[in-house]
Amino acid sequence: MISRFQAEIATALATLAFGLVIVNGAREFGIGWDSSGPQPGAFPFYCGLLIALASAGTIATTIGRRMGGSAALAGIFLDREQGKRVLAFFLPMLGFIVLTVTLGMYVAMLLYLVFAMRFQGRYGWLPSLATAFGTAAFFYFGLEKFAQVGLLKGPVEAMLGL
Amino acid sequence: MKRFCIAAGAALASVIAAVVPAAAWQPTKPIEFVVTSGPGGGTDNFARIVQSIITKHKLIEQPVVVLNKGGGSGAEGYIYGKGAKGDAHKVVFGTNNAYLLPYVAKLGYKFSDLTPVSALALDEFLIWVKGDAPYADAKAYVEAAKAKPGSLKMAGSQSKDTDQTLTAMIQEATGAKWIYVPFQGGGAAATQLAGGHVDSNTNNPNENIGQWKAGQVKPLCVFSPVRLAKSDPVHDGKGWGDIPTCKEAGLPLEAFQMPRTVWLPAEVPADAVAFYADVMEKVSKTPEWAEFIARTAQTARFMKGKEFTDFVAKDEAANAKVFKSEGWVVN
Amino acid sequence: MENFASLLHGFQIALTTHHVALMMAGVLLGILVGVLPGLGAPNGVSLMLPLTFSMDPVSAIILLTSLYWGALFGGSTTSILFNIPGEPSSVATTFDGHPMAKQGRATEALSFAFLSAGFGAMAGVILITLLSGWVARFALKFSSPEYFAVYFMTFASFVGLGGASPFKTIVSMAMGFAFASIGMDSVSGNVRLTYEFDVLLAGVSFLIAVIGLFGIGELLQTMEEGLRFEGVKAKVSPRDVLATALKLPRYWLALLRSSIIGIWMGITPGGPTAASFMSYAMAKRSSRNPEKFGKGEPEGVISPETADHAAGSSAMLPMLALGIPGSATAAVMMGGLMIWGLNPGPMLFVERPDFVWGLIASMYLGNVVAVIVVLATVPLFASILRIPFSIIGPAIVVVCFIGAYTVGNKAFDIWLALAFGIVGYLFKKLDYPIAPLVLAMVIGDKAEDAFRQSMIFSQGSLSIFWSNPLVASLMAIGLALLLFPLIGSTRRGIRKLVTARAAKA
Repeated sequence: MISRFQAEIATALATLAFGLVIVNGAREFGIGWDSSGPQPGAFPFYCGLLIALASAGTIATTIGRRMGGSAALAGIFLDREQGKRVLAFFLPMLGFIVLTVTLGMYVAMLLYLVFAMRFQGRYGWLPSLATAFGTAAFFYFGLEKFAQVGLLKGPVEAMLGL
Repeated sequence: MKRFCIAAGAALASVIAAVVPAAAWQPTKPIEFVVTSGPGGGTDNFARIVQSIITKHKLIEQPVVVLNKGGGSGAEGYIYGKGAKGDAHKVVFGTNNAYLLPYVAKLGYKFSDLTPVSALALDEFLIWVKGDAPYADAKAYVEAAKAKPGSLKMAGSQSKDTDQTLTAMIQEATGAKWIYVPFQGGGAAATQLAGGHVDSNTNNPNENIGQWKAGQVKPLCVFSPVRLAKSDPVHDGKGWGDIPTCKEAGLPLEAFQMPRTVWLPAEVPADAVAFYADVMEKVSKTPEWAEFIARTAQTARFMKGKEFTDFVAKDEAANAKVFKSEGWVVN
Repeated sequence: MENFASLLHGFQIALTTHHVALMMAGVLLGILVGVLPGLGAPNGVSLMLPLTFSMDPVSAIILLTSLYWGALFGGSTTSILFNIPGEPSSVATTFDGHPMAKQGRATEALSFAFLSAGFGAMAGVILITLLSGWVARFALKFSSPEYFAVYFMTFASFVGLGGASPFKTIVSMAMGFAFASIGMDSVSGNVRLTYEFDVLLAGVSFLIAVIGLFGIGELLQTMEEGLRFEGVKAKVSPRDVLATALKLPRYWLALLRSSIIGIWMGITPGGPTAASFMSYAMAKRSSRNPEKFGKGEPEGVISPETADHAAGSSAMLPMLALGIPGSATAAVMMGGLMIWGLNPGPMLFVERPDFVWGLIASMYLGNVVAVIVVLATVPLFASILRIPFSIIGPAIVVVCFIGAYTVGNKAFDIWLALAFGIVGYLFKKLDYPIAPLVLAMVIGDKAEDAFRQSMIFSQGSLSIFWSNPLVASLMAIGLALLLFPLIGSTRRGIRKLVTARAAKA
């Protein structure tokens, strides 16, 4: 279980860090103002600075309201049940991406759709396999053949000579 | 008998030797044309015309797919080429930025990551001023710029790229000084000049032809060793061939041209390089190519092998000199 | 009247069986391309380009523009149904379009979107017909300071919208600007903020961010709420389309206002994306119930769609008359013009009136054809939402990541889209507004370029933004838009304080 307060602070810390990374990256190009206007680094520098300052502002107000006993902040950001549902969706998606970069997009698509339909949606094997192969074939002919847009391919496609 | 055998064998060997190299490498899967500019850019038009000619005349058996990788002024495409080391099914289309970009920006590739194939044309640069500007010729314009140093504006596309390099060369050669304003592309530089927001630009013929036709801009001189090919009149009875070279017009500058180039990734078989150089040579001899060259007022010039690498070495040295004196070199 | 005669001549060219058939084919292909991930209008047009080499230029441009209209409609479809904008300019459509679809009003949302888009496009074309000469001259007056002023106006109209925490709004907008500045900086020629990672060289594509923030983020949230799309229950009948059409005249004010904003942004360099955002902002500001926006208010669909298409069609004029492509798609079409042997520029109207007026006439016809075709597809698309979520959810995931990959053919972009998905989910839950981030990403680098070019023009003096009546009035409008809500809220705050005191006393 994550409280709203924890989520607010963690997100603000992350954006604060992002802001500092931008500030750091921008310094390389000069952040001043010369005869032809702002130097190349100035614009990203001030953006990064703004992100960092506003994140600090969020942290300060959040802590302030927490001390003031804000009920909304003490509330729940994500309870166990919700967390489970999000993970049940997120983890297969992550698996799909890992498979995509290792085995190629078509194989990943097949496995992911079959998994989601057969084991999460509790459909039979036949509709699951049919949908998965149908989708893969649709993209293969639509993108690869008709539009000549190639997707990420892996060892399996190479073996099949596609 | 024995001698005959040897002679026959030698003859056969030489026949094989003569035949084999041409057939030694053939594409076995679809070919990617990697374009180092966004859709609609000069390099994009170049690659798509080559693609359409190859398809029309069936110069390559396999299908050809065009892929735009124009990020980082084209560096994205060259880095993609670096990543495809040894893969002769990826052909990179560009300009002289292939060997010039690594000078002016910290990028993840070196010129040695590419294998030179050929160049098909040289794109020309001109000095353009507004149609109603009081300057009769290039000399008068440069004098005007000298009279008010650092107040006339020169528009071009991008920064530390060909247009700004040329501007720096003109400044070096004449002693005049402009404010160089970089725009996203030659099209924007053209409209900014037509609208009178800048005093001149150094656009390629193709980028300003629309405005010249309407008389909104006029060319003063062309940075080519000889005049451009004769053409139909564009505006006011004048065509491309009537524009004086900048040397004739009294600017002490030899020439400034941009090659339209074709590259392969590093470590590809020499036969593959020969294969593509051969295809490109055939492309350069088609009527469609001649028509494209005439319409865009470029100079047709096919180069491959040593001729091409010599050209690259010379062009690289000339540009690097400007980069150094302008302080643009990063590493 | 001369224009009118030319237009009639144009109709004679465009209104042949051959050309109308081309329009239908183009629109249908366009819808397909717009709905399919990773294709989008620019890809679709460059795909068809080789086919047009053998056509005559009028037929070719009719095919390509029809495909473009179709793709725009297709993009709005995915925005409404799945919260995935196909084109930058349909981002604003998601704000209210997707909530409507989730409430089971997909048919209504789609019909409103298409009808108002058609209305906007018509307004744009009528303007082109009447004022072509004037607009071409007017657009030449724009230089970098004026460009910056137009972008400034767009931002100004959007800041101060919505009740999010000002800190969070700033974080969101500044993050958008920061993302926009990654990659090659065309003003200085430096490669910025790539931290020596080659994959960042081309910058962070706006499309990746949108796929993650909107598409993936929305899916995660839907899962968490344990909701299924409620479209399951919705009945889809062609009659609903008609009923929605009859409701449209009620929104005449929104249609009119959005058309004006769209046309204005189309002929100035703002473009369709800025137009749709600004139009949405103005609709919310002038509405009597601004709190309904973002929760499925029809006006929140009508306004951005009208402005988007009004801008899209009126932007064809600067493209033809000046040779400036207003969008990636226009850039590809301009490449096409050159291959067909035409030079975009002021003389195109004089040299090839048959081409120009044939095109303009085809824009009238093409949009009518497009609206009819696309309305016919509404029941089909709306019933997609009736597919159970355990099938459509993973299918959308696949579609999103295919889209992410095909933007730049980089595996890195897939990870990036996932990261944006998580950011989108967190931001939504914690009430960070996402729209400012998207807007800043789309026009942030253009605004920065315009600002720095202006500074090169003036050698570092800000007075250039007041140097002529045009730029000065644009800046003044921008400042007014920025300050009005501030003044309004301060006044309200003071009034509250005063009444509170009075109550105490």
